[in-house]
Amino acid sequence: MVHMNIDKVLKELGVSGIDVDHADLGSVARGDADAVFVGRDIAEAAENLGDLVVLNSIIDINELRTKVRATLERKGVTVPEVGVGA
Amino acid sequence: MLNDYLTSDTIKFAENVDGWRDAITQVTAPLLSSGSITPAYVDAVTASIAAGGVYIDLGFGIALAHSRPEHGVLQTGLSSLRVTPAVLLNDDPAHPIDLFFCLAATDQQSHLKTMMELAKLLSDDELRTRLLAATTPAETSTVIEENGTQE
Repeated sequence: MVHMNIDKVLKELGVSGIDVDHADLGSVARGDADAVFVGRDIAEAAENLGDLVVLNSIIDINELRTKVRATLERKGVTVPEVGVGA
Repeated sequence: MLNDYLTSDTIKFAENVDGWRDAITQVTAPLLSSGSITPAYVDAVTASIAAGGVYIDLGFGIALAHSRPEHGVLQTGLSSLRVTPAVLLNDDPAHPIDLFFCLAATDQQSHLKTMMELAKLLSDDELRTRLLAATTPAETSTVIEENGTQE
C-alpha cells in the first residue's frame, strides 16, 4: 500500500524518475535504497537500513505527501511547485 | 471489484466484541461459511497478531487482517467488521481498532488487485471517514461503489 501511495504522491508532486519498490524486512539491505519508508511498528527493526522515514499510518496521504516532499528535498531532488495541493 | 467481495453477507457490524481474538473470529466467519478459507487461515491470522504482528494496523483505527495464500485460502475473499467500541489489537493500547478487514487471496495477482482497490478507498480522506461512519451494510456498499467509480 505504501508503494502505491508513494507513486501517487510523486505523480501529484510532479516528480518523475524515482524508482519505488517494496520488500519485506528480510529481503532489503542497507544501501538498497536512498530512502526507506516503513510503518512505525517496524521502525526499530529497520533502523539499520539507511535513511529511514517512519510513517504513523500507511494510508495517510497527507502525512506521506509531507514526508515524501521532505525526503526529496533532503536528497536534493527539485520538487516543482506545480501540482502542490492538487 | 471490491463490491464483488464486500456484500451484505460479508460486511458485518458488532457491539461489545470480547477483545481482538473475538473480532478476528467474527470478521473471518463469513469467509469460513462461504468456503473462501479453512479454519487454518483463522489460526494463522490470530497467531501472527499474537506474535506481535500489529503492522496490520493501517492507521485511523483500521486493521487489515490477512495471512499467506498457502495458510488455508480456497477462494479469494474479503470481509469487514465494524466494532463498537474499539478493541485493542494484541491488547496493545497503541492499536485501538474500529474497523477490521479480512483479506484472503489465492495468489499474489489477485492479492495485489484487491489491495490496490482497498488502498485507494482507505487513503481517500472523505471515503474513509464515511466508511468509518457507516452503520449498515448498505451504507458501506454505497461508499465502496463510489470508490469504484472514481478516476
